[in-house]
Amino acid sequence: MGNASQELQRLIDFEMEQGRENMDVSELLQKPYDPELAEKLYDPKQPMKNRITDIGPPHYAQFFPEVIKKNYGKWLKHEIIEPGVIKYTAESGDVVFAIRCATPRLITTDTIREICEIADKYCEGHVRWTTRNNLEFHVTDEETLRALLDDLKGRKYPGGSYKFPVGGTGACVTNIVHTQGWVHCHTPAIDASGIVKAVMDDLFEYFQSMKLPAQVRIALACCLNMCGAVHCSDIAILGIHRKPPLVEDERINGVCEIPLAIAACPLGAIKPATVEINGKKIKTVRVNEERCMFCGNCYTMCPAMPLADGEGDGVAILVGGKISNRISAPKFSKLVIPYIPNEPPRWPGVVKAIRKILETYAHDARKYERLGDWAERIGWEKFFEKCEIPFTEKSIDDYRLAYDTYHTSTHFKWTIHTKKFE
Amino acid sequence: MADVKKHDTPMLEELKKGPFPSFVDDIEAKGLKGKQECLDLLGQLELSYKHKETHWKHGGIVGVFGYGGGVIGRYSDVPDMFPSIAHFHTLRVNQPASKFYTTAFLRKLCDLWDNRGSGMTNFHGSTGDMVLLGTKTDQLEPTFYDLTHQMGADLGGSGSNLRTPSCCVGKARCEWSCLDTQAICYHLTQEYQDELHRPAFPYKFKFKISGCPNDCVAAIARCDCSIIGTWRDRIRIDQKAVRAYIHGELKPNAGAHADRNWGKFDIQKEVIDLCPAQCMWLEGETLHIDDSECVRCMHCINVMPEALRPGVDTGATILVGAKAPILEGAQLSTLVIPFMKMEPPYDEFKDFVDKVWEWWMEEGKNRERLGELIQRKSLQEFLRVTELKPIPQMVKEPRSNPYVFWSADEVPGGWDRDIKEFRKRHAA
Amino acid sequence: MAVNKEELKQKILEYATKKAKHKSKMYIKDLYKADPSAKPREIKNAANELVREGKLEFFSSGSTVMYGVPGYGKGVEEAFEEGEE
Repeated sequence: MGNASQELQRLIDFEMEQGRENMDVSELLQKPYDPELAEKLYDPKQPMKNRITDIGPPHYAQFFPEVIKKNYGKWLKHEIIEPGVIKYTAESGDVVFAIRCATPRLITTDTIREICEIADKYCEGHVRWTTRNNLEFHVTDEETLRALLDDLKGRKYPGGSYKFPVGGTGACVTNIVHTQGWVHCHTPAIDASGIVKAVMDDLFEYFQSMKLPAQVRIALACCLNMCGAVHCSDIAILGIHRKPPLVEDERINGVCEIPLAIAACPLGAIKPATVEINGKKIKTVRVNEERCMFCGNCYTMCPAMPLADGEGDGVAILVGGKISNRISAPKFSKLVIPYIPNEPPRWPGVVKAIRKILETYAHDARKYERLGDWAERIGWEKFFEKCEIPFTEKSIDDYRLAYDTYHTSTHFKWTIHTKKFE
Repeated sequence: MADVKKHDTPMLEELKKGPFPSFVDDIEAKGLKGKQECLDLLGQLELSYKHKETHWKHGGIVGVFGYGGGVIGRYSDVPDMFPSIAHFHTLRVNQPASKFYTTAFLRKLCDLWDNRGSGMTNFHGSTGDMVLLGTKTDQLEPTFYDLTHQMGADLGGSGSNLRTPSCCVGKARCEWSCLDTQAICYHLTQEYQDELHRPAFPYKFKFKISGCPNDCVAAIARCDCSIIGTWRDRIRIDQKAVRAYIHGELKPNAGAHADRNWGKFDIQKEVIDLCPAQCMWLEGETLHIDDSECVRCMHCINVMPEALRPGVDTGATILVGAKAPILEGAQLSTLVIPFMKMEPPYDEFKDFVDKVWEWWMEEGKNRERLGELIQRKSLQEFLRVTELKPIPQMVKEPRSNPYVFWSADEVPGGWDRDIKEFRKRHAA
Repeated sequence: MAVNKEELKQKILEYATKKAKHKSKMYIKDLYKADPSAKPREIKNAANELVREGKLEFFSSGSTVMYGVPGYGKGVEEAFEEGEE
């Protein structure tokens, strides 16, 4: 595994002693890919033959750049020297620059190959991805850094967009964490990649600069399941359905296990039923539509209960969540705009709403103040007023623990919602 | 030009414009080089843009033999228009901890995926896996054989399994990390391969490991068991560097606010006054911290990274039960173990996990996350089964209602009483 | 209480086959009923061994995984194939 720091070597040695099978895959990787090997090894009649299972992921340390291995656990300080470039210094005096680039997450093998080409040319064949779908290239000297930045700037898609825009550090809008949307999911109410592209195009200046009061984390989830865990983001874009599932009586008993469909409903709103079609009694279900919260869990279990609807579906905007424990505790995002219609291909309503919130915050908040902390300081009534968002009953909770969000004091501010303070 | 059919996609054309990388350009170029699936995917997406509805449906029994997770079935509902993506299943491949790669690994993965699938990926899925997007049922086993035999890689979790653990960059590159995040992530992933690949639980279970309370993998919001680095000694102070910040020689917050003029750095206003514990003060130009009052929020360290560093007696705070809103509403993780050393072989932690799992497997309802079970059965019961002592750190404030569930053995004489004896003292 | 694994597997298989006639997909929780004296983990290990032997099979909705008995009930996949005719 090369020249690892003592601290790292100790961890590697411990796992070696556990007898892991794929600690070091370098020998495997030296061999070219053999497109015919699997067909020789796999026998559908004897599925256990030649089967390797439960080896888990290859050990992480073999993928570290040399400077990372050598200085593992011995880093001293870091500095963002320009947007997207972080300089790390180790106790040994070694330096590494991390160059951060956004990606759309949904990328082809051709893009990954291009990333490899860059990593081979400048980074000794290493590259990293972050939790927020950013790429990170590592170099150890200024000259290579400048050459790499120049190179990245010149790489564009035919339509003119940057392939690897550098940014996403410090007090900025970094890359949006998102789900699959219409590209590959069966329950989405909105697309993911298209909205992300439209919003990031609009906020691109904030991705490539550090002029906000604090970092702003934007996330998108295309339905209430929230695979993207958007519920603690500064700004969350959430896909919502607004029509209960249809029930295909003719088909349901053929394609679903009815008890599973019933059990799938979190609110117990699905009940068994029998209907008569052409004189034949047929088992089916009925939905108590008033209890439906449009989550789509039934459809996941039963393809005869679709709920997507071009006119009903759309976007809700939630704001003010955070993950970090810095200054204030982590908190949830709150629903401020209950519905914006789907407007493909560029969702102008969503883009406009987000820009208005972001710029009001940027103008108004104090240094280091996250969006949610700002809203709490000025009061949510002021948030709605300043952002010019109409307050509706949809922002008042009526689910579990709703009472926790009600205001039980006489402290409030005069805004357009009451009688304005003159 | 390869023999492929490009669909008319006027709306998606609009998503080639603008500076942010265009997934449409990427996928279309790949398609024109010979991957019909890419062009069909864009064709179907255009149709979704027209209808404002998805055109995917899901499927059940796809997977590799002996595994109950790692593959997600997906089918087009317009297969006649887009036959190459009629079946379009996803494989989740367990990423190396903290997502460093060599180009040798990535190139071979690309060769594999061009051969076995669509050539499209998500780098990465929300949970952390490398997601190979789109292949046919008959390619699943060969893909799995290729991954295990030629890459030394394996599938990640899905369904009611342990999901693929993930972690932040940790000590590999961050001076704040109080944990060997990759090592913990790798070890748990390896130790619990059976739980990762086969259904074991009422519902999904996630581990995430962040090296410090900045929590760069969002462990506190996203996972059933959050492992977050912390320390229990003093913040290390370099007073010379403190003075350098005061005099403007060092950039506050490591330069994170450099593109706006926020005025001269003011240590009182920007650090001391914002400290949530109010445990710092300045004497002349010497910074003092009452570490016994510190809650380790990281703000002062974030603002003056060259002057302040976390302590050296490091370990993890363990919190449990976070989840997205379905079903009972979103939950953040609840603090249950304020400090635990996290050193190989991690036995203390694994013992804790065993107790948690045993209880959840026994008591959890189908599709009930750990956080929901704790809500239903109470935090007290969770503490009893995990043999943890109740401490005030576990609550924001004590309860305000008096409805305590006393048990008989806590009351002298128990609950066996005689009404006749009672009536001797009190007339009816 | 450690039970004999082969016996436990037999019990699970009998239970699942009986159940499968009217409900072909079972949660792991349902299989606990095959032998209430066994620990959940023992049931899980035995059931997963039955899958490796091809006597039980997994059924995945993506978010949850269930057990089925080969030959009983409808896999969603088959259902789609038929539905498309």
